[in-house]
Amino acid sequence: MSTETIKVDTRPVDATTGKPIGPLAQPGYYPGFSTLGQQKYWDAKTRQVILDRVNNIPEIRFFTTEEARLLKAICDRILPQDDRDDAHKIPIVPQIDKRLYENSHDGYRYESMPPDREAFQLGIKAIEQIAQHEHGRSFVEIGPLEQDEILRSLHDCKPSAAHDIWERMSVDRFWMLLVSDCAEAYYSHPFAWDEIGFGGPAYPRAYMRLERGEAEPWEVEEKRYEWSAPPSSISGKHELIAGQTEHFGSPGQGGTH
Amino acid sequence: MKSPLLGQFQPPNGEPHMLGPIQRIETPMHHFAEGEEVDYLIVGVGAGGGVLLQRLARAGFRVIGFDAGPFWDTERDWVSDEKGAHNLYWNDIRVTGGKHPLAFGANNSGKGVGGGTVHWASFTPRLHPSDFHIHSLDGVGVDWPMSYSDLKPYYELLELELPVSGPSYYPWGDPHGYPYGPHPMGGVGDALIRGCTKLGIGVSAGGPVAILNGSRADRPHCIYRGFCIQGCKVGAKASTLITHVPDAIKHGAEIRPNCMVSRVHIGPDRRATGVTYFDPEGRERFQKAKVVVIAGYAIETPRLLLNSACPGFENGLANSSDCVGRYLMAQAGNVVSGRFDGLVRMYKAPPAHALTEEFYETDPKRGFARGFAIQTVGPLPISFAKQMMSSKGSWGWGLRSVMMDYNHWAAFGFLGEILPHAENRVQIAEEKDPLGIPVAKITFNLGDNDKRLIKFGKDKTMEVMHAAGAQEVVQEARYAHLVGAARMGSDPKTSVVDQFGRTHDIANLFICDGSIMPTQGSANPGLTIMALAARIADYVIQQGSRVLNHNDRSVEPPPMRRDLSPPDTWGHGMPRI
Repeated sequence: MSTETIKVDTRPVDATTGKPIGPLAQPGYYPGFSTLGQQKYWDAKTRQVILDRVNNIPEIRFFTTEEARLLKAICDRILPQDDRDDAHKIPIVPQIDKRLYENSHDGYRYESMPPDREAFQLGIKAIEQIAQHEHGRSFVEIGPLEQDEILRSLHDCKPSAAHDIWERMSVDRFWMLLVSDCAEAYYSHPFAWDEIGFGGPAYPRAYMRLERGEAEPWEVEEKRYEWSAPPSSISGKHELIAGQTEHFGSPGQGGTH
Repeated sequence: MKSPLLGQFQPPNGEPHMLGPIQRIETPMHHFAEGEEVDYLIVGVGAGGGVLLQRLARAGFRVIGFDAGPFWDTERDWVSDEKGAHNLYWNDIRVTGGKHPLAFGANNSGKGVGGGTVHWASFTPRLHPSDFHIHSLDGVGVDWPMSYSDLKPYYELLELELPVSGPSYYPWGDPHGYPYGPHPMGGVGDALIRGCTKLGIGVSAGGPVAILNGSRADRPHCIYRGFCIQGCKVGAKASTLITHVPDAIKHGAEIRPNCMVSRVHIGPDRRATGVTYFDPEGRERFQKAKVVVIAGYAIETPRLLLNSACPGFENGLANSSDCVGRYLMAQAGNVVSGRFDGLVRMYKAPPAHALTEEFYETDPKRGFARGFAIQTVGPLPISFAKQMMSSKGSWGWGLRSVMMDYNHWAAFGFLGEILPHAENRVQIAEEKDPLGIPVAKITFNLGDNDKRLIKFGKDKTMEVMHAAGAQEVVQEARYAHLVGAARMGSDPKTSVVDQFGRTHDIANLFICDGSIMPTQGSANPGLTIMALAARIADYVIQQGSRVLNHNDRSVEPPPMRRDLSPPDTWGHGMPRI
């Protein structure tokens, strides 16, 4: 099926100039900061693991070509990177695929959820069914706003179709699984650390400026600019995830205390 | 009894086994021969198992510690990276349910020598004296079969062994001081102190944490890199891997890493005879022992007891009370995040460095029993992104934008006491793990007191964050830590073990981990688990062959042994109280 999609600008907007931002090598408020530039101060094992993450993007081995294509379109909206140039986009789907191919998980599964592998397969299928139900077209063919609205319906726990799938899998748990995996792939990458001003690995070298948010001599001072999500997106707003669960044991638990 | 000079030795492979950048295991590890019976076999070398192993070895017993995970070489195996720390946790599948299900993995489990102490933030507060008698005092939960005064000398001892840094005067519970001085503040600690001070709430700065603020022997001091819970490559943060295991090996203990124990065997005389385990190649093997000690923590300990059911013990071992797996507890661990105008950079400094226990004790005015603590936490980017997903519903551009403000946020952890409930439990699921061992299924629901306590504590923590100057304050409901599921008590009808970890039903089967705690207070459990282990060690060592070979049971508290601590315990640091 060939479909004409109106080409819309999916870049975020500079609030001062009203102009789209990017594509940039490095979005964020820490221009010139490079964690990879500090790698000679990292220990050998850490350097090896992080360089491997950056340089060796895993092949797709778990998902089918079609599933991978759909998931790519989904992840492009869950963690949009339209402000990044192609050389600095952070691969999301290959990391999720690697995890599922290796059947690596966090050591537990909610009773209301199938195993992670099945959850992703079912979730992708359900999202595609919703797109077909609402637009008569594939998720990859509809516009970014329509894509956001479908994803938003999962965030709100109100999917309009694929109810047989949602009977086997709780919507909010799937939503958190999906967002968590995207977040893990993105924020484990040094490009993302540069964007948010996170210092990255710090062994054997120490941090010495602990208080008042001061930068180390090798870190960069913050230079803020105001910006907003593109008009083609509704993901810039913050509203709590809906759903039946009270979010106890939500995936944000990763050892804090 | 053994001599470390007998038996096979591991051939030197040329590569030193590093525990931090300086400490290395010099002594070749003793290996017991196939078919050889040991005195003590410990399943799990974590907080409890590690301390017990070290003391038994020092006292001259033949002892093996099994661990399902690796024997870490911290230089070779660990990374200064959040995602790269995934293999420190117990990542075998568990099924979790109930109305308020627990999360596992990174939250509350360890797999590998050192167990959870490898990735604990290492807050090491003691329980309060009231924690041992909450049924008598507040009419909730259950009393311990011991008092604070029984454990106090062991708290003091472990605070020297780890050692613990903290203020010279700690005002809550039984007031005391810490042997090593407090750590400098990071941005999150500053926020907690600011918020508490504004509200007139007392606050402890710089500890208590089991992190070295000055070098000691072959362990360097803290470098404030903030990766405590990803495994401390520096060797400044205590874990039994670096504090107790090296001394155990030096005194002839064997560690069998990557060996998963699947079953404890019981002989015709109703005594444990040893365990079946899967060796690193996946072959099923048997190890004979005079005494079996399970130290697998609150999920794996009941799982092993239940999976070891056999004729005469149809409902699982040591389960005549039907208490194995029951009274499982987690602490409420809501994370409250606040956004400040100024920069915080919360990735610097140890996540654990300031706390208040001002709300620890029952206050009838609040409308619930027991209380909570408020502590610093310091989530790194991936954890923080997930927290924003849960606390603000962030995704898409919203997630990108809040994450660009990462350096403006500080996070506090509320740590609240959840009471023991019989229906919060570990059972065996039909599902099996890759070795064919049935997995654990966990059910968890909050009671009314728990919900009221969480509501109050979460609101109070948010109030402190506001008082610290945050413009936006959000929170996420979650849990921290695990204890219970094989609780101790004096009555065999309502408990699994006695106060020395000895199962009521099987005279030579012990449990030495957090699962024996009948209640939990709102103190992080690590130090208490270690103190209990040291006391259990003194007990079994004093009992000698009566435990090894006989069924008669004494509940006489042992004298405390001061000669079984790891080297460098004494003569460093002075309690100032």
